[in-house]
Amino acid sequence: MQICIGIKYCGGCNPVIDRAKLVQEIKKLLDPEFIITTDQSSGEWDIGILVCGCKTACAYKPEFTNAARKWIVVAGHSVDMDNEPEEELADIVAAKISR
Amino acid sequence: MALKTAEQYEESLRKMNLKVYLLGELVKNPVDNPIIRPSMNSVKMTYSLAQDPQYEDLMTAKSHLTGEKINRFCHLHQSTEDLVKKVKMQRLLGQKTGACFQRCVGMDAINAVDSVTFEMDKKLGTKYHERFIKFLKMIQKEDLVVDGAMTDPKGDRGLSPGKQEDPDLYTHVVEKRKDGIIVRGAKAHQTGAINSHWILVMPTIAMSKEDADYAVSFVAPADAEGISYIYGRQSCDTRKLEGCEIDVGNRQFGGHEALMVFDNLFVPWENVFMCGEYEFSGALVERFAGYHRQSYGGCKVGVGDVLIGAAALAADYNGASKASHIKDKLIEMIHLNETLFSCGIACSTQGHKTDSGTYLIDLLLANVCKQNVTRFPYEIARLAEDIAGGAMVTMASEKDLRHPEIGKFVEKYFKGIASVPTENRCRILRLVENITLGTAAVGYRTESMHGAGSPQAQRIMISRQGNLEQKKKLAKEIAGIKD
Repeated sequence: MQICIGIKYCGGCNPVIDRAKLVQEIKKLLDPEFIITTDQSSGEWDIGILVCGCKTACAYKPEFTNAARKWIVVAGHSVDMDNEPEEELADIVAAKISR
Repeated sequence: MALKTAEQYEESLRKMNLKVYLLGELVKNPVDNPIIRPSMNSVKMTYSLAQDPQYEDLMTAKSHLTGEKINRFCHLHQSTEDLVKKVKMQRLLGQKTGACFQRCVGMDAINAVDSVTFEMDKKLGTKYHERFIKFLKMIQKEDLVVDGAMTDPKGDRGLSPGKQEDPDLYTHVVEKRKDGIIVRGAKAHQTGAINSHWILVMPTIAMSKEDADYAVSFVAPADAEGISYIYGRQSCDTRKLEGCEIDVGNRQFGGHEALMVFDNLFVPWENVFMCGEYEFSGALVERFAGYHRQSYGGCKVGVGDVLIGAAALAADYNGASKASHIKDKLIEMIHLNETLFSCGIACSTQGHKTDSGTYLIDLLLANVCKQNVTRFPYEIARLAEDIAGGAMVTMASEKDLRHPEIGKFVEKYFKGIASVPTENRCRILRLVENITLGTAAVGYRTESMHGAGSPQAQRIMISRQGNLEQKKKLAKEIAGIKD
C-alpha cells in the first residue's frame, strides 16, 4: 500500500535551513511505499510535512489543516516545536513518518 | 492560463515589437541583446519561482476576481497578510537575482489605480474602475508584466506643468476624440519597460485645475504605435559586450531603466482610467508612492543579503574573517539590512482596507521605510567596500587572468588564502563591485536614493502623517501644562 506524504513549503524569504535538501534527505530515508508529492489536487495526503525555513512558520495556516490527516511541522531548526540540530531534522521527520 | 512558465514569458516578449534605442541604434532583438538580456532574466525569475513549490506560497496568490491561482505580481492585496507576503517575495527575488527584478512597479501601480478609480467612480459616477478591473482580469489570466509609469521629466522644477516652456515635459492629453485620447510627453527612469507587456501611466504629481490635462492615467500595450524607448546607460554596461563573465560581476541578472516617449500616442477610452479628474491625482501619486516605498523594504533587503554574503566571502578569501572589526562590520551590515526589512514588514502589518477592498500600507511607516532606504544601502555598500579591499577596483581583468603569458602573475598576485582559487576571489570581488558601483549599483544605490521618490518627498509625507499635535498633547499632560 502506498502512503502519500505531502510537502507544503513556506515561501522561503530568509530560510535558516536548506528546505529542498531536507526533503531530499527525508525521501532517501523512507521506504519505497512512501510517495512524496507537492501536488495538492490529488486529494487528502496521509501525512503532510510543512517545511518552513524559520520559526515564524508563516505557511502554517488553518486552510491547510484539512489537506492531510496528520501534520509534521518543520520550522527552522525545530520539528513539532522541539528544537533540533539541522543535521538531525531529516532523521527525526522520517522516524515520525515511519512510526 | 493563469501562470506562464518562464519560457512562455520569454517567447511572449519575442512576439512584441518594441521600439528600443540603445547606444544610438534601434535594437532589433531586445531579448537577446547582451546589455538588455540580464534584466530580462531577472523578470523571468518572477515566473520560474512561481512554478516552484518551494516558493509558490510567496510567489502566487488566489485572485479575488476569478478564484484562480495567479502570480502575486498581478494580485490586488486583500489583507495585511498579502502585504507582508509581498515584501517577503521581494526579499526572496532580490536574493535570487542580486539585482532589480522590475516587476514591482506594475504591482504597485495596479493596487494604487484600483482603489483610486473605485473612489473616483463613487464620487463622480465615472466608469474607470469597471474598465480597470476588465484590464486587470486580462493581465491576471495571461500573467503579464505591467510597467507602472509615473515620473515625468519635469523640466524646470520651479514651474508647474502648464507653465513649462515645453508643455510636453509633463505627460498630457493633447486631444480628446470620440474614440479616445491623444497623449504626448514622456516618462523617465522607467524600470523594466523593455521587459513589459503593458504600460500603466499615472500622473506624476498632484495636479491643480489649470493642469487638468496633465491628470491622466491609462494603459497601453508596451509596443503600441507612438511609444519609443531610449535605454538608460549603466556604469560598466559595455563590459557585457566583452564576452567575459567574471568582470561583469553578475553574469546572469540585472535591471534596467529607460526613457519612455509618447509621440502622439492614441489611447482608446476603454483603456483610460483618469482624464482631467485632477482632484484624484494626488491620491493616486500618494498611494503608488506608498506601495513603492514599502517595496524597497523587501527588494533592497534581498540584494543587501547578497552583498553581505559577498563581503563575508571576500573576508574569508582574504584571510581576514577572524578579525574582530570585520565581524563587527558584518554585524552592522546585517543590523542595517534587517532594519529595512522591519520597516517593510511594519508598514504592511499596519495596513488597512480601502473602499474598493484592496489593502493599503500604513503610509507613515512606508515613508519611514523608504527614508531609511535612502541611507542604509549606502552604508552597507561602504562597509562592503571596506571589507573587500582595494582589489575590487584595481584587480586585473578576466582576459589578463586567462592570458597565456601574464595569467600566471594574475593568478599568483591576486591570490588570497591558499585554499581558495584566485578566480573565486576575483569573482566575489567583482560581485561586490557590481552591486556597489557597477551595473547593479543603479538599483542598489541611486535607485535607493531617488526611486519611489527622492528623500525630501518622504520627509514631506512624514511631516503630514507624523501626528505632531498628539505628541504635543502628550508632552503637555506629562508636564502638567493646562491651556
